[in-house]
Amino acid sequence: MANWSDIALATIPAAPLAAAVWCGTVAQVVRRNTSHRPVILALAASLVAAFYLLAVVVPGSIVDGSAHPPDVSASASTDAAGAATSNEHGGAAGHDGHGVDHKPYVLEVYRWMTVGGLDVRIDLRADAMTALMLVMVNFVSLLVAIFASSYMHGDKGYPRFFGAMALFVFSMNMLVLAGNFIEVFVFWEGVGLCSYLLIGHWYHKPSAAAAARKAFVVNRIGDFGLMTAIFLIYRTFGSVDFETVLDPAKLSELAAAQPGLVTTICLLLLLGAIGKSAQFPLHVWLPDAMEGPTPVSALIHAATMVTAGVYLIARCTPLFVHSPTAQLFVAGVGAATALIAAITALCQYDLKRVLAYSTVSQLGYMFMALGAAAASPALAAHAETFAMFHLLTHAFFKAVLFLAAGSVMHAMGDVIDMRRFSGLKKSLPITHLTFLCGALALAGFPLLSGFWSKDEILSVVWEATRVGPYGTFFLVVLAIGLFTSLLTAFYTFRAYFLTFHGPERFPEEAGHHPHDAPPAMAIPLYLLAGLALIAGIILGPTHLYAHYIEKTPNFPAAEAAGMNLGMMALSTILALGGIGIAYAIYGSATRTAYTTSQTTNFWERLSLQGLYIDELYGFVVVKPMAALSAVCEFIDRMILDKIVDAVGLLPMIAGGIIRPVQNGLVNSYAAVMLLGVIVALVSVLRAIAAV
Amino acid sequence: MSPDPSHYLVIGAILFSLGAIGFLTRRNLILMMLSTELMLHGVSVNLTAFSRFHDQHDGQALTIFILTVAACEAGLSLAIILALYQRTRSLDIRLWTTLGEEELMPPMADAASREVQAPSEPLPKLAPAGRRPTIGADGHVSSPIIVPPKGTGKGSKA
Amino acid sequence: MNWVSENASLIGTLVLLGATILMLFPTVSNSSGKRSKLLGYLLIPVSLAALGWVFLQPTGDMVRDILFYVAGGTAVIGGLLMTTERNPVYAALWFAVATLGVCGLFVINSAPFLAAVTIIVYAGAIVVTFVFVIMLAQQEKSAGYDRIPQQPLLATILGCLLVGTMLVGIHKTFGPAEPALLAVDRSNLHVSSRPVEGDLGSPRGIGRTLFTDYLFAVELAGTILLVATIGAIAIAPRRPQGSL
Repeated sequence: MANWSDIALATIPAAPLAAAVWCGTVAQVVRRNTSHRPVILALAASLVAAFYLLAVVVPGSIVDGSAHPPDVSASASTDAAGAATSNEHGGAAGHDGHGVDHKPYVLEVYRWMTVGGLDVRIDLRADAMTALMLVMVNFVSLLVAIFASSYMHGDKGYPRFFGAMALFVFSMNMLVLAGNFIEVFVFWEGVGLCSYLLIGHWYHKPSAAAAARKAFVVNRIGDFGLMTAIFLIYRTFGSVDFETVLDPAKLSELAAAQPGLVTTICLLLLLGAIGKSAQFPLHVWLPDAMEGPTPVSALIHAATMVTAGVYLIARCTPLFVHSPTAQLFVAGVGAATALIAAITALCQYDLKRVLAYSTVSQLGYMFMALGAAAASPALAAHAETFAMFHLLTHAFFKAVLFLAAGSVMHAMGDVIDMRRFSGLKKSLPITHLTFLCGALALAGFPLLSGFWSKDEILSVVWEATRVGPYGTFFLVVLAIGLFTSLLTAFYTFRAYFLTFHGPERFPEEAGHHPHDAPPAMAIPLYLLAGLALIAGIILGPTHLYAHYIEKTPNFPAAEAAGMNLGMMALSTILALGGIGIAYAIYGSATRTAYTTSQTTNFWERLSLQGLYIDELYGFVVVKPMAALSAVCEFIDRMILDKIVDAVGLLPMIAGGIIRPVQNGLVNSYAAVMLLGVIVALVSVLRAIAAV
Repeated sequence: MSPDPSHYLVIGAILFSLGAIGFLTRRNLILMMLSTELMLHGVSVNLTAFSRFHDQHDGQALTIFILTVAACEAGLSLAIILALYQRTRSLDIRLWTTLGEEELMPPMADAASREVQAPSEPLPKLAPAGRRPTIGADGHVSSPIIVPPKGTGKGSKA
Repeated sequence: MNWVSENASLIGTLVLLGATILMLFPTVSNSSGKRSKLLGYLLIPVSLAALGWVFLQPTGDMVRDILFYVAGGTAVIGGLLMTTERNPVYAALWFAVATLGVCGLFVINSAPFLAAVTIIVYAGAIVVTFVFVIMLAQQEKSAGYDRIPQQPLLATILGCLLVGTMLVGIHKTFGPAEPALLAVDRSNLHVSSRPVEGDLGSPRGIGRTLFTDYLFAVELAGTILLVATIGAIAIAPRRPQGSL
């Protein structure tokens, strides 16, 4: 029985997949230059379906599920409820504090494999958190695709780019819709693959190829953690379904019996999330990933894929609440990442790298929030809500920042070095305006979206310092968060002032009259900029978002959250302070051009090189690995190969002894025959003599 | 009662072994074949001796067969030897070590015979049965693909 | 060692025979070759005498013995010299001599018809053909491949081992140590279906055997002859390849 809910659910991943297939096959041959059209169409369809999911399916299933218990509703319920109950399988529905059943809406697509006790299905599983993520992903994807149709115009790999992008959206949608950990893993790798393909889109550039490889290899470390976590989950729970694994009642029993096991699983999941979300110490791939086309940076490396780690941890919150240790790790990693990335961003002169480090830093905030529940399980709901909220707002303002940076790059002839241009305010008004919106939102300017979400995160951490046994730890985390907030405002506006203010200079690649964004680029910029301004104030203080997301099954029990006015004031002061400092240093109209010669200070070099973490890895990991490989190669070549050669030599020597017989001369063969005759004769005679 | 055949067997054994030694040491193709004839003689002596020992004709009959086979063998071998001789102008067996290991050419093949290398002609081959080969001016043989004459396909009708 | 001392006479004879053959082989150097060849010629009667002493004691039937020694000696000497002679034409002639000796042995063994046929076929046909071909392929001077034998030592050792093994076998079967073997029970032999009754070796008897018991083999032999004839015609002549 196909109903609208099923169709909507299936459309979300199916449309991008179809577009990807089209781009991968037909568009390679015909209609190369219009291959963006099916992709945009598919993404629009997915977005509509995602909104339908958000507005109708998920609330419908929840309301009906709570109004009519499943055993009596099977015959009499609406389409949506009927589908929900008929498709619902196995898992126990979650209970929250209000005693309302929150069941996910599940569409079983395909039973992939049933091996022993392992039952892996490809499910489409929708709940509140999924719906929010899907709307965000498809919305940003659609806008980025529209932007890219203009930005990438004339590129040789045009259909390839859009094919990979559609494939990415498909994978991301499936990742979000996944109903079990194996499915998560498959599409986790899928988005990684698409990321690799898109970073390496200009594969003929050695730096792009190296960056793609680096992203892939560094991600493998995290994937190892995720995979091990899944193994451990299967071994512990005998299932990989979310419904079974994330059942709070069972988890409480398990955590009471084996707290170490839960912590181990959580830490391994955290390792996976660290890799995908570019957290310290695996954050090094993300800045290099800026070698890819800018729309890719905006979509994958700012808004969507890198948030998969946050999503995974948020999804596994029922697991994490039972392991304060793991959550402390989450918070610690987040804080360290936020600080390190912010410091690194201070002196970058590559506009996109500033934004990349800023992304890393903001992801650190989200981890910080997720970890804050360590203090008390009561905070878990806030923590998860605000992490996901920041994820949403960050997606909007970071996407607009990246797209604006792409617009700058487009106008400047692919030059992104802030030392080579300045004062673009007049020539690129649209870009300037939208970038300013994004920058203000990122800096946490009051009433803009970044302000709300970041403020909520800081207030959660502040709560964590007051309750629970880890007050000191969270005080440090809070201090780092506040300091990072100052730094964020500073480096964002440093980049803004350097790019758009000061004397008007263009690099020679740009020609004399740089042109501003064409409509296909301007519309997404305006839309995203608008959302960056207002999304926070619509969803944050009104608690729309919080009320929606707490309908997620197995969502931790929530308490009413009040506004933390003190924290708001503090973060406002910090944001304004950062902007002010940036203006004082870089904003004055009379400043001299920013050139390389200024970056001679040790501290600036330290920041420019990203605290030398890449070099540290080179020294600690890569060099010893290379040495080990050299030793292995030596052993392989000089010892193992020689042994093999020696083994091969044995028959050669043995053959060399009797080889002269095989000289092609009839007489030699006859001699051997004669010898054989003699031997035969002797043996016959001996046999006769014995009788 | 027949006499003791061992004397004749001794002579037969000696003749056989002398033939074998001759086959091993001779480098002349013709004399190698002649040595095999001597080996056959040894066998013949044995056969006649046993024939007398058993007072039967079988041994002598087999000797007749040996004669026959020896005649065939002599004719064929001489023909082959002549063909080989026409290629190399030499009867040296050491020129014909094609089946041997490459670098193990007999070390003692003397310079005179070594200079006469086997020509790089293709080995002789017979034309496929039922087809008339065409012989080019250079002696190269090509076997044409026989096109069946038209109308044979409908032969059953006729 | 025990075995060696028991068979000292056999081993000594073989060593003598081997030495004779080795001496007779042509050598590269001319002067020493002549000397060793002379020694070889001198050794021939010695080794033959030793052989006769050890293995071929007279049986008592004097005429037979004398005929046997003459014919056998001729065959062995012919074979020896054929094997070691450097000139191929001489070697072919020595082969004819050996054939004559073999025919003498045939005659002693009551096979006069066979002897006649062998002389006709071998001496008359085969040897002549060989000599003809040798002449045809004659080099200007004596060719290197005739002057230098290959691996004479190895060949001689192998040959002597072979003959020694066979001699031991003959000795064990028919020697004085095993007289019982001589009393062969004829009824157990399945050599032929018919007893000969005194006309052993007559053309009539051989013919009857050939065309009764061995008829199929005779037909096969005829076929082989035919095939060999065609093969020889196909192979030998010089003409463009592939033509017949």
